Amino acid sequence: MSEIHVIFALARNDFSYFFRTKWLMAILLSLNLSDMLVVALVYKGMMSIDYFAYFVPAVIIMGLFAASLDTGRRIWLAIREGMIQYELSLPVSTEGLVLAYLLAGGAAALVYASSLMIIALIVLPAQSILSALMLLPFLFVLAMGLAGIAATMAAIASTHGEFFFAFQNILQGTLLTLSTVYYPIEFVQNVLPPFLVTIVAANPLSLAAEAIRQYTFAGLPVEPIFLGKIFLASIPFALIGAIAYLWALRKIQVEGKL
Amino acid sequence: MRNVLRLVWFDLKPDLKPPVWIFAEWTIFLIQVGIYAAIISQLVTGVDNYRQFLAVGLVIMITFDMASHTGRHFVEHAHEGRLPYLLSLPVSRSKLFLSIALQGGAELALMLVVPLTVTLVLIGNLTWISVLACVLTLFWLGFGVAGLMLGLSFIAFKSSDLYTAIVTGLSAIIIRFSTVLYPFIFLPAQYASAAAFSPLTYGSDLVRLILGFDPSILLNPAYAVGVLAALSVSTLSLGLFLAQRLVEGVKSA
Repeated sequence: MSEIHVIFALARNDFSYFFRTKWLMAILLSLNLSDMLVVALVYKGMMSIDYFAYFVPAVIIMGLFAASLDTGRRIWLAIREGMIQYELSLPVSTEGLVLAYLLAGGAAALVYASSLMIIALIVLPAQSILSALMLLPFLFVLAMGLAGIAATMAAIASTHGEFFFAFQNILQGTLLTLSTVYYPIEFVQNVLPPFLVTIVAANPLSLAAEAIRQYTFAGLPVEPIFLGKIFLASIPFALIGAIAYLWALRKIQVEGKL
Repeated sequence: MRNVLRLVWFDLKPDLKPPVWIFAEWTIFLIQVGIYAAIISQLVTGVDNYRQFLAVGLVIMITFDMASHTGRHFVEHAHEGRLPYLLSLPVSRSKLFLSIALQGGAELALMLVVPLTVTLVLIGNLTWISVLACVLTLFWLGFGVAGLMLGLSFIAFKSSDLYTAIVTGLSAIIIRFSTVLYPFIFLPAQYASAAAFSPLTYGSDLVRLILGFDPSILLNPAYAVGVLAALSVSTLSLGLFLAQRLVEGVKSA
């Protein structure tokens, strides 16, 4: 079996594990669907903007983010349960193992976000479904980047589960709050200092949410430069995550544990 | 009582060494109130000072999370074999359940100390009586929710996976279909009827009333008191009854 086949077999295994975790599916679906169909709708009646049209596309990105972050939980679990020792014994390089996890994380998050996208397209009229399809490869890169963040946290937390889940919650809360997922940038500018506004504008979650709003639902023509920005903002996260996970695996290979 | 306290400390100790979860909860709360609530309140036109309204909602959410965690903890203990050990100790069942309740209360107090203080400072102009009444209402709600989760624990003895899926899924829905995030008057009719069954609707509106929010956007406090009392008494009794019958000889899935 060539290495590429082993990588895909590992990625497929991890991918299916994500969808087989019942409690996780229950959390993600209940959170995202209730955000989309309850919170967005109720807020619409209380706000100065059409919050339903604003927030529903953003829920797709929130789902993508949450599903990507679960890669970290699976890596942490593999380290804690010793599954990683078995995976390191397979005929695959350490880099290949890292790639398998990032591919699986990106693919699982993309499939999950696509299901949310279908629901969003049902509840909110879209102007260009073709744009939604064009965005998918960029969302995949973003998902891999976010999976990279999760991999970094899993590598740092090692076998200490409480640290990993605490890091994950804080990071998820911070990245979502410092983005335009929940509110337009004009309102952010009124409250936050300029350096934080720059972070909010450059946040890949803001870029992806804006791309779905503008290109899929508002029907504006797709700007390649904007898609390039999503790509550029996501790649560093994926690289940092890959390096951190690679470092963790090398340490396990040499010392037998983290 | 010494045995009860020893059991409380036995369960509480792992959470405090180090208290990572408590700091995480405080940090997330501060980010939500400091940034999210400050920005989103600019968009809200239907509620005066939505930031304060949301801060109370976030405190209710922490209370709910901690209370449901207490219920889940009990099930996890059964699943992991810790409960059979506790049952074999020379401590009566009532003392054992008292220790579980006290441990939940202590965890809730630790989790709430910073969020509640920040919320009270944000609202300002409060009396000691209103602060005390607010704390008592939060604990009252907490016991009711913990009882609800204990009541649901019979599912866990069939399948712990199914229990976790139901409880976690239910938690998100109970919060969304309630007045934790928005006043009752803004809920569409079909959602309002669902929110009327959520204990958090009554808990959050009662706490807001005590803290001096405009009563015209809140539910009648008489209903809230009645529902919270009924919830805590019925779910805790049901939880105790089911748990007493199920835990002996623990048949956890």
